[in-house]
Amino acid sequence: MVIHVDLRPHTAPMDHTAPMDHTAPMDHTAPMDNALAWLDHAERARWRRYRYERPRREFGLCRAALRATLCARLGCANEELTFETSHHGKPFAVVGGARAPVSFNVSHSGTPGLTARAAAGRIGVDGENRATRHDPDGPIGTVFAPAERAELAAARGTGKIDLFLTLWTVKEALIKALGLGFSMDTSAFEVPPALRRGAREATFRFPHDPVVRWRLNTLGSASFAGAVAHELED
Amino acid sequence: MASTADRIRTLVNENIEVDGKPIDLPDDLDISLTEAGVPSTDVVALTKLIAQEYGVEFTPDQCGELNTLKKVVAYLDNKSG
Repeated sequence: MVIHVDLRPHTAPMDHTAPMDHTAPMDHTAPMDNALAWLDHAERARWRRYRYERPRREFGLCRAALRATLCARLGCANEELTFETSHHGKPFAVVGGARAPVSFNVSHSGTPGLTARAAAGRIGVDGENRATRHDPDGPIGTVFAPAERAELAAARGTGKIDLFLTLWTVKEALIKALGLGFSMDTSAFEVPPALRRGAREATFRFPHDPVVRWRLNTLGSASFAGAVAHELED
Repeated sequence: MASTADRIRTLVNENIEVDGKPIDLPDDLDISLTEAGVPSTDVVALTKLIAQEYGVEFTPDQCGELNTLKKVVAYLDNKSG
């Protein structure tokens, strides 16, 4: 399940006299005040540390949407839900002191924000704005495998940017699902050729761990590109 | 020769924008690029440029662990010192 979170500034007036129900489904287009009410003390502190308004808003809205969807899935109150992080910083949900049976991942650097959730199996999601300024053939290309770099070098125009964003978002979704981030050598595995040719779904196995199968989906619109990686259970 | 802080400041100014504008870097460079709204593509690209500029191993993962540009400068100074 992937939820798109509207990250655009919202200027509608808010009714500050209305009672807040933290167990009710959240209106994802609600103002920032509404979202902030979902965050705990540490999350609000992190929200305040952001220097710029846009990333601050993106973090607040995505974290609130994540809390709302996890509470609905787990049947818990927002106050019971906390987050801890793995060694490489991937968060996991804790309810009542125990790790909750749910996988999730969030990307709030694109438009919209993306929140992915699964009952079982690791999951990762990434979204990027299509208005990238990068030269796909520049230094950033070293994150790709040799065959992928060759395809990028041969591509032209918007096709080059589309391929770059497909490669990037699929790889980032996969390493986020593993919880390893860029400690993993992303040039050591290739995005399935079908996705590179424009297919929206494919299965995948890491060369270092071929037993585990992953389902990969690309998503997006004219303004953003995204991908979801979900570990399949055999 | 420019200081490491000045060279990093130049690299960021020449290569990183947030919403089409350069980042307003504090004098002490105590700023997290991620929390400034810089997307992961830009952070990784900057990491590659820094590794190229300094001829050192500097991975995106290290950049993430160091968290702020101030710590990146300290890391590079330590490497070359």
